[in-house]
Amino acid sequence: MNKAMGETILESQPDLLIDIDRREQGDLDTEEMLVNMGPQHPSTHGVLRIVLRTDGEMIQEAIPHIGYLHRCAEKIGENLQPYQFIPYTDRMDYLAGMNNNQAYAVAVEKLAGMEVPPRGQAIRVIMAELNRIASHLVSLGCYGMDMGAFTPFLYCFREREMILDLFEAACGARLTYSYLTIGGVFQDLPEGWVEQCREFLDYFEPKIDDYNNLLSFNHIFIKRTGRIGTISPEDVVRWGLTGPLIRASGIRWDLRKVTPYDGYEQYDFEIPIGEPAGSDGFPAAGIEVGDSWNRYFVRVLEMEQSVRIIRQALDRLPEGDFRAKKVTNVKLPDDEVYVEIENPRGQLGFYVRGDGSAIPYRVKSRGPSFCNLSITTHVCRNCLLADIPAIIGSIDVVMGEVDR
Amino acid sequence: MVLRLHKLTIPSLVAVAGLLLTAAPALALSAGGEASPTEATKVAAPGSLFDAIMFYVVALVTVVSALGVCISKNVVRMAVWLFCTLGCVGLLYFLLAATFVGAIQFIVYVGGTLVLLIFGVMLTSKSPWARYETHPVELSAALVVCVGLFSTLCLVFSSMRWPVVQWETEGTAVRDIGVALLTRYLVPFEAAAVLLFIVMVGAAHLARQEKK
Amino acid sequence: MSQFSVPWKPRSEVRYGFLSRVIIAIAAAIYAIFKPVVSRFPGLVAWAVLILSCLLVWAHAVIFDYVDETILRAAADQDITRPVIQFGSPSTWGYAPSTIEPLLAGAGMGSGFASLCKYALWPLQFIIVRDLIILAALFALFGLVPAYAIWWERKVAGRIQSRTGPMRVGGWHGWAQSLADGLKLVLKEDLVPDEADKPLFRVAPYLALIPAALAFVALPFGVGWVFRELDVALVFILAMLGIEVVGVIVGGWASNNKWSVYGAMREACQMVAYEIPMGMALLVPIVCAGTLSLREIGEMQSGGWFSWLAFSNPFAFIAFVSYVIASLASVKRAPFDLPESESELVAGFHTEYSGYRWGIFFLAEYAAMFVVGALASVLFLGGWNSPLPSSWAASWGDGWIARIAEGILFGGPLWFIAKAFGFVYLQMWLRWTLPRIRIDQVLYACVQVLLPLTMLLLIGTALWVWALESSGFAVFSSIVSVILGLIGLVFAFGFLGIAGYGFYNQRRLVGRLNTDLLSGS
Repeated sequence: MNKAMGETILESQPDLLIDIDRREQGDLDTEEMLVNMGPQHPSTHGVLRIVLRTDGEMIQEAIPHIGYLHRCAEKIGENLQPYQFIPYTDRMDYLAGMNNNQAYAVAVEKLAGMEVPPRGQAIRVIMAELNRIASHLVSLGCYGMDMGAFTPFLYCFREREMILDLFEAACGARLTYSYLTIGGVFQDLPEGWVEQCREFLDYFEPKIDDYNNLLSFNHIFIKRTGRIGTISPEDVVRWGLTGPLIRASGIRWDLRKVTPYDGYEQYDFEIPIGEPAGSDGFPAAGIEVGDSWNRYFVRVLEMEQSVRIIRQALDRLPEGDFRAKKVTNVKLPDDEVYVEIENPRGQLGFYVRGDGSAIPYRVKSRGPSFCNLSITTHVCRNCLLADIPAIIGSIDVVMGEVDR
Repeated sequence: MVLRLHKLTIPSLVAVAGLLLTAAPALALSAGGEASPTEATKVAAPGSLFDAIMFYVVALVTVVSALGVCISKNVVRMAVWLFCTLGCVGLLYFLLAATFVGAIQFIVYVGGTLVLLIFGVMLTSKSPWARYETHPVELSAALVVCVGLFSTLCLVFSSMRWPVVQWETEGTAVRDIGVALLTRYLVPFEAAAVLLFIVMVGAAHLARQEKK
Repeated sequence: MSQFSVPWKPRSEVRYGFLSRVIIAIAAAIYAIFKPVVSRFPGLVAWAVLILSCLLVWAHAVIFDYVDETILRAAADQDITRPVIQFGSPSTWGYAPSTIEPLLAGAGMGSGFASLCKYALWPLQFIIVRDLIILAALFALFGLVPAYAIWWERKVAGRIQSRTGPMRVGGWHGWAQSLADGLKLVLKEDLVPDEADKPLFRVAPYLALIPAALAFVALPFGVGWVFRELDVALVFILAMLGIEVVGVIVGGWASNNKWSVYGAMREACQMVAYEIPMGMALLVPIVCAGTLSLREIGEMQSGGWFSWLAFSNPFAFIAFVSYVIASLASVKRAPFDLPESESELVAGFHTEYSGYRWGIFFLAEYAAMFVVGALASVLFLGGWNSPLPSSWAASWGDGWIARIAEGILFGGPLWFIAKAFGFVYLQMWLRWTLPRIRIDQVLYACVQVLLPLTMLLLIGTALWVWALESSGFAVFSSIVSVILGLIGLVFAFGFLGIAGYGFYNQRRLVGRLNTDLLSGS
């Protein structure tokens, strides 16, 4: 069963073979066991299936198998006008629908040369950052649950519910919003929304300390996640990892700063990165740059930065149009464009190729979860079974976007 | 319409049987119990009809489960039968009012050794359903040994005169055993401890050893 | 018939057998009787059930006492010879109903009533009959403790996680939730995987249940409130806790599921490892007390708070903490719940179990939680004694009211159960607060931390007890125990204070969720 695939991966990685040889020299050899983790497993976050080659509790090799949720999203995009394809992008990374809408919208706007009004841009930034918080909250809570701590999960979802309330007030949907559309946003913010959002931010900011006290700086939690699944900066670049993974490995890389879109250059915020043990605001021992704990903690720090961005955007929310005049039947020129934006999970890229009609000739997306997941086999090696949820959870994949 | 036992019937019956099974050892414990809840009731020596019934029931289960160890072919089932055997032997100790030995039987053999045994079986067997087929030669050899042993025991039991011991209820056995272990039998006790320690170190060494 | 065609062979329709029908009919009848009362006064019913069950247990103790006084002792005083009946273990003699009647009438019972009661009270002379009655009560407790512990755990989890927990069944805070769950579990289909080792799979839950039930047999709930008083009760209970693991291992193995085997292996490792520090930690109070009999240990601690063994010397105090940690591991509670860690092993050893058999595993687990809590209370925290010295009650006389007041104020089964449940509450609190430890860390903590620590504690206690023979050291020891008692008092008030704070501020802490919309919240 899947031996062939395992062997090909083994051949491509000679250092793995050396490890296995060393293990086989031991006196008391035990039998290896192939275990299917998933597609129905509580901690693979959806329909991810990982084939584990185990020796007792030790994992020799972990090979992710994907494709259980494939829905031909990109092909559908080649048969629909861009504004019609927006609802499909929601379903890719269903925890960050706003950011997905934004990525496709920005790509199409760049291709069609469309201008987004300033109010539309500001609303987009607010929504994208709120969704980043919501997505990170799910990630945090589920990660706690992967480590056996149930309570932070409920706390995170309590706060996420309030964000979803805000989204519902703005667009009527709680999960698949299709709110950020081509040329701006689909409708203006309702009356009183800004005040409600401010109220939420005031409520939410102190809660981050709660999570830190309950989970982040919990001794057991640090023991479970610190120095587990460490990815070096070289590996991060080599495997094309993005988002919290690249930042946790100590590389200050964020597309909102590097190639600003939707007016991100106007806002003042920092890029949090993973730090070694003993840094300011970090535990004194037990962690290192690029480990699972840092990947988790970068998300916590990012939430703080998102709150900062939202506050600034709310303060200087311009009046005016929220959407470009013409958004349907926009003729796409015979040209190609590739745009990446910063999704909560990393760089979400859309390649769109027009052929002069209103329907794109080719749509292709680069999903951050898909690329981030590729490091699994490399990292989950010679670790314990209990480390697999720690690593997979810290990579934080959304299978809807991996399989598309 | 096929008349069949409903899914629930069997579990319910087994539940009743389970509770009875639980009650039986509990009552067996009662036989040897030395202190009664009230002063007015008196303690009687084992030998009443109830004790005899309990003894024969538990002894029968012991023998049957011991046979089960021999007959079953699956290793884990053997271990479960052995669990039953050892547990019943512990109950027999309780029936004979040797509560300390009974409790030690439970904690050492049933709770400790047997768990390690099952653990070892699970670690070492090649497949989940490893079966042990007995070769006819082995079977006949075992038969010879068994018949010989059994007949010898029968001979010994029938020819021996069993002294009737006055059963004592006073005094706690635990204290006596402890004192005896640390005074009269100190040297064997220490020797056994040292031996076990050596065994433990040796096992740890074997487990950690790696080929050069 | 079916409009869907399935590639596998469909199971035959679920039909209820005779026993199921009986159970359903009884449940429906009980529901029909109590529905009007429960729906109107749910809280009242909940408390009434609680108080009634206490009274029921108390009543049979009173009746047994009455039989002893009016029949056995009175007959002995009047020198009536007893006919020998060769049945029943210790008490092989019983008085015939005709002999009993005048005795009962002499004890102040009306003659007509006595002629009725003589037949009812006659069997109660035999220990075997009493044993069966007590055993029934004990097994009822054994069933009720897990049922309410599970309900309570869900409430505690709810409060900790800013939600409400069960709120519907029974009305008042969903107090009947566990009963409804139990009925549901019993009525579910009894699934056994095709590839499993079926006999072992079926028998495994009972292998876990029977030892847990047997541990209750030797638990002393109070002076005289013990089913079987063994002089090696502690060893016996520890052995039962150790045997319970066999059911888990066999169940995990027989499921023929790799995750189950992982769970079983972890359970075996953890259990074998943690039995040792747990036993070592328990030896510390044993050394202080000098006996293995739980009754004697309990009676030794009747001198109030400062006489409890946890405060007898510093080693015992630390041993108490070590025991709490080791006992968490031995009953596989978080943060040591590796055998069933759902984020790693799906559901661990009970991945393939469902319905009735799954429920039995849980019954055993929660019963074991109660048993380790009970052990902690009897060995470290004074057992059935209240924090007040029982000598204060000496001047109260022997009247009924005084006896009841003593039983409530100075010790008794209620104190024992309350302490054990306090310990169970601690286990729940930890479970819903802490993440899970990894298996290597679990074993490291056992072998390299707890084991040497408890060994040192044992040696230290032995030296301490040895040194107590000199009178100067005894004075020093009593000062130390007062200091430790005060520290313990601070901890106890902290524990109660935090729990009480949470209870009184639950509305605020729960936040703006739908507590106010639910009835009875």
